[in-house]
Amino acid sequence: MRTKNISQIAQERIIKENIKPISRTVFSFKRVLFWTLVFSSIIIGAISFAIILNALLDNDWYLFGVYGLNFVFKTLPYFWFMSLLIFMIVGDYYYRQTLLGYRKSLIFIIVVYLSSTIVLGSLFYWVGVGMYIEKSIENNMPSYRGIILNRHQFWSHPEDGLLSGEIIRIKEGELEIMDFDGLMWVIDTSQSKIYDDSRIEIGERVKILGKIKMGLIFKATEIRSWLNLDK
Amino acid sequence: MLNREECNQKTDEELVKITLIDPDIFLCLSKRYENKLLYYIMRISKFSRDDAEDVLQEVFIKTYYNLNGFDQNLRFSSWIYRITHNETVSAIRKKSVRLTISFERVDLEKFEDALDLGKEVDNSLDRLNINKALSKIDDKYREVLVLRYLDEKEYVEISDILKKPVSTIGNLILRGKKLFKEEYLKLITKEEYNGK
Repeated sequence: MRTKNISQIAQERIIKENIKPISRTVFSFKRVLFWTLVFSSIIIGAISFAIILNALLDNDWYLFGVYGLNFVFKTLPYFWFMSLLIFMIVGDYYYRQTLLGYRKSLIFIIVVYLSSTIVLGSLFYWVGVGMYIEKSIENNMPSYRGIILNRHQFWSHPEDGLLSGEIIRIKEGELEIMDFDGLMWVIDTSQSKIYDDSRIEIGERVKILGKIKMGLIFKATEIRSWLNLDK
Repeated sequence: MLNREECNQKTDEELVKITLIDPDIFLCLSKRYENKLLYYIMRISKFSRDDAEDVLQEVFIKTYYNLNGFDQNLRFSSWIYRITHNETVSAIRKKSVRLTISFERVDLEKFEDALDLGKEVDNSLDRLNINKALSKIDDKYREVLVLRYLDEKEYVEISDILKKPVSTIGNLILRGKKLFKEEYLKLITKEEYNGK
């Protein structure tokens, strides 16, 4: 059998074609890039977790008794759960691109990713980062409210006794609010219980339990600040 | 340039460092792997020796081109096998062929020992069945069996070559052995039946 000296041929090609090894900097840059992408995935996951935590702890659990599981399903922050899942997959993908990342099993990566995002996310929640980011998105992306915030949708059913919006005017026994669809409502507060009334001021957002009296007049039984500071 | 004796005394990792200063030393490194990699290419592909040599040439060029990317946390052997594996898979895709492997007698004997077929294997006809059974099992299982039993690689090395978790490699080997035995037994049972 004919035998070629492949090593010699390859060596001659290297010299003839003047092939040079790729610079070390390129490989170092790639390594830094992959690790940056891994850490970015953890940070975004942690922010998602902080917002999930905020949504769960800030949810109107006093309504659970009235609406049951339906209430839970309608108010879960699905978008952020999805974000957590997507960035876990992204993190796993880039971690596997790191030097020895492929040696770890998927279970190991999921456990490490979730532990990191839970610890960091709780910290973010504690310092208010989650709430701050969600508010920023809400203020800068009008569509966010409609698509993402299930809680807004849940509180936008005046026919079922659930109304919410921003206070435009305050009068004795009456409030005027603009709901999230832009409709102006007159709220009869004469027989309502107002929770955390220090936050009932113009520009504040509120959620109201009660029933439609007629047209756009709503008789309130309970009024709460949009943020559950006093439950 | 190092002479043959000096070259033999150096580890792969030392040779990589010297090659980055003196490119001629790469020859010393590539010679060390020439035969092993050529057989490895032929075992995992249906390439003729000529085709396998072409793939190997590309492997050496790629290895040299990416030499700065070699990390000393890995074994050089695993790294060059990985490049070889990827280059072979890529060449197979380009040729779009279904693999039908033919192992050499010495390889088949290694399989007999490793897969504990001593009792079942009586003659060269049975070795033909080993060959057939190996060709029938999925590429991913055959690949790990070749690396484990013919190239005698450790689980961690196989994990580094194929870029898969060590636990996955363990499962693939276990499952590969089982599937191989099933295929092999099917073949010899069929032959006994036909013989009767």
